[in-house]
Amino acid sequence: MKNWYLFILSLVAAFVLFIALSFFYNQNTSKGLELAEPIQIVLKSIEGQPMDFWDVVNQGIDEAAKEFGVQVKISGPRFEKEINRQINILNAVIDDKPPLIILAANDYNRLVESVEKADSLGIPVITIDSGIQSDIPVSFIATNNKIAGEKAGKEMKNLIALNTEKYIAIVSHIKETSSAIDREAGVRNSLKGQDIIGTWFCDVDPEKAYLITLDLLKDKRIGGIVALNEVATIGVARAIKEKKASDRVFVVGFDNAVKELSYLEEGIIKATVVQRPYNMGYLGVKTAVEYLKGEKVDSYMDTGSILITKDNMFKREYQELLFPVSN
Amino acid sequence: MKRVLKLGTLQSRIYTIFTLMIFATVFIMQLVSFRFTMSTVINSTLENNRILLGQLVSQIDSYMLGMEQIAHAVQDDPEIIEYLQHKDSGSPVEYNSIQQRLGNYIHARNDISDIIIVGNGGAVITGDPDSSLNPWTDITQKNWYTDALNSSGETVISSSYVQNIVQNRYSWVISLSKEIFSVDNSKSIGVLLVDLKFNQIKDLCQSLVVGSKGYNFIIDSDRNYIFHPTQQLIYSNLRNEPIDSIYSLLNSSEQKFYHAEGKYFMIETSAITAWHVVSVTYDSDIITDWRFVQISYAIIALILFLVVGFATNRISTGITKPVRKLLAVMKSVDTGEFRLVGPIKATDEIRELAREYDLMVGHIRNLMNENIKEQELKRKSDLKALQAQINPHFLYNTLDSIIWMGEMKQTREVVLMTSALSKLFRISISKGREFIPLVDEISHVESYLTIQKMRYKDKFEYSIKIEPDLYRCTILKITLQPLVENAIYHGIKEVDHKGKILITGKEIDGIIKLEVIDNGKGMTEEEMKNLNMSLNGSPSPSVLSRQGLGVHNVHERIQLYFGKNYGLTYFHAEGGGTRLTVQIPLEEVEV
Repeated sequence: MKNWYLFILSLVAAFVLFIALSFFYNQNTSKGLELAEPIQIVLKSIEGQPMDFWDVVNQGIDEAAKEFGVQVKISGPRFEKEINRQINILNAVIDDKPPLIILAANDYNRLVESVEKADSLGIPVITIDSGIQSDIPVSFIATNNKIAGEKAGKEMKNLIALNTEKYIAIVSHIKETSSAIDREAGVRNSLKGQDIIGTWFCDVDPEKAYLITLDLLKDKRIGGIVALNEVATIGVARAIKEKKASDRVFVVGFDNAVKELSYLEEGIIKATVVQRPYNMGYLGVKTAVEYLKGEKVDSYMDTGSILITKDNMFKREYQELLFPVSN
Repeated sequence: MKRVLKLGTLQSRIYTIFTLMIFATVFIMQLVSFRFTMSTVINSTLENNRILLGQLVSQIDSYMLGMEQIAHAVQDDPEIIEYLQHKDSGSPVEYNSIQQRLGNYIHARNDISDIIIVGNGGAVITGDPDSSLNPWTDITQKNWYTDALNSSGETVISSSYVQNIVQNRYSWVISLSKEIFSVDNSKSIGVLLVDLKFNQIKDLCQSLVVGSKGYNFIIDSDRNYIFHPTQQLIYSNLRNEPIDSIYSLLNSSEQKFYHAEGKYFMIETSAITAWHVVSVTYDSDIITDWRFVQISYAIIALILFLVVGFATNRISTGITKPVRKLLAVMKSVDTGEFRLVGPIKATDEIRELAREYDLMVGHIRNLMNENIKEQELKRKSDLKALQAQINPHFLYNTLDSIIWMGEMKQTREVVLMTSALSKLFRISISKGREFIPLVDEISHVESYLTIQKMRYKDKFEYSIKIEPDLYRCTILKITLQPLVENAIYHGIKEVDHKGKILITGKEIDGIIKLEVIDNGKGMTEEEMKNLNMSLNGSPSPSVLSRQGLGVHNVHERIQLYFGKNYGLTYFHAEGGGTRLTVQIPLEEVEV
């Protein structure tokens, strides 16, 4: 028998053995996703207000990145209102040609162009928290703001029933942000038949929200204010506390800054609708990994919202949500 | 011999069976030992993890023990007891000094969030003079307060929770609370609360982890999570831990870990807190190096396969090569060539076989040689008998001629013919010898020619021109007479003109060349070719009609005695007729 023949036979047998050995342990170790470049994440704000919310989103992102073994790179403007800056950052990120971009859009319309550019370069986009006016993003992971707004509106409806004054005002954050639009729609949906006197925009500035509220309090018929985000809620609550109007004007807010929770304990705010930012970050990265692995992903995922009142704020299951354990 | 694997050969059978068996053995051996290595590594890793988990639990325990000691120190502080017993009459100075004391305890360790004493009447002393109490919460409704009052002096350890007792401060803590008694232990005077920073427990749990993904979590006896790195995912049902299966480990002494979804779970219970600490290890963290192990195993197998393969190859060739050689030698029998195997490198059995074969072939060779010799002897004696016979017709005819010449009173002719006949007979017999001097052979043929010439009344004439140097050479007796007889009967007798017979003899290179030339009928090219060919075979009847049996016998006799290089050949003679040459080796007669 020729030697080369034997050599090939041995090689084949050794290779078969190699494959056979794989069966002993490979079934449980799902293959990790190998990416040359990190997944790029562009958030609404990375160090400005509101801090807590995006910190928790970051925690969720980090946990998912660790669990699925992928690299992520987080960037974003300092403040939510810096829309142009976010567009620039997104464009710079697109130039890096990442495998995927996760975006929390600061504007419903103005980021569409950049996302279209990413799409033309074959970079998939997933939006979290706030979407854009486009079908391009492969998935949108956010609180269903309409449902969240409905929860706030429903609570306001219950509260206003106990109040003598029935006028309700809405203090929103930014006019063209999808979260503001949807929440307001949800609130108005639940408050059908109630006297909503109008919507004011504070442009994510607590001072402006405070001033708006001071103005609103001059109208004695006001019985309730729905504040649509953290900054607006804090501004509104500060004015109410200052004017000692908590028995006259009931406030339902959004989000869970420490200050808000303090106001909630104090009774200045009657209820707040909180989101699950941790899940948003976690599911954003998880969905990105699933998409990059070629799995089918849902085009829309609701991360859910919870109505928190003074009664349930210290319930064990909501504590991590309301009081994130700092690292 | 081509060394290619042919199915059905002994070599390929041995090779295939050996290779298959050994390959299968190596294969199974490698699989089993790989599996064994794997389980050993996993077990030892898990054993290490268990030790790590034990360390974590004992660290938590000793940590809690330390906290309890602080609680004891505070509780037994006489000034504090004194203050609580007489707080109604106590002065603000005393309050401040106690607050300072508590502050000292807090600052002694950086892991205490707060120490608070709640007096019976609801008076609260905090350790931090700058903090103010949260006015919107009721301390007496808190779990830690009521639990401490209900457990009569035992330390109560809470789960993790958010402490909201101080205004605008929401800190994650684990609480140790305890009822304080008066000096004579007669009555309860308040409740002590020591809040531990939850981050301490969290950091402990996150520092003692295995691999890049492994983690620890803590559950209390009511199955509430005290710590989990991804508690939010648990509460939102995005992640679930198999708590029931993990708990069943507590009741089983044999099973030490639970394996599911690519993770190993181990549980250990803290004696002081009654918490269950669970450590989670990912398969992928244990088996990071398995690819390397797998490659090593495959390479070892490859080397084994090669070594075993070559060895098998050598063994199978070693067995079959001598057999093949033997076979090749045996095949030579087919061609009549009896080759010997000779000395051979092989096992004893094969060597013996080869030796026996060689012996057998040797016997056969001897038998065959003897047979050939016997045949030759038999043929020689047959031919000798034939040759000695004088054609009876010739004798009758000659005697008739003598009688006829006697009656005619031709006395001289009668004497001549009778003496020639007598000479003919004497030389024919030659005392039984086969070889005679050439000179005798010449007189023999001359006697024959004399008789024939007289009988045919000068139908032909003859001459003999043989070099006299050759007279003493030996020759098989009765070589020339049959040739001359042939020349007369088949050559001269057939033609009308006067016949001539010439007998020549000379020596060329150690060979005596005798020729009998006639001017008779001659023959065609075709006939001559047939005659020459038939000399070496048995003569066919058609050839015998042209050539006497005597000529054929002469040729056969010469070849029997001298070999194939000698014998007769027909040629055309110049001017028609036939030339028949005889070649025999030159040998001097022994005197």
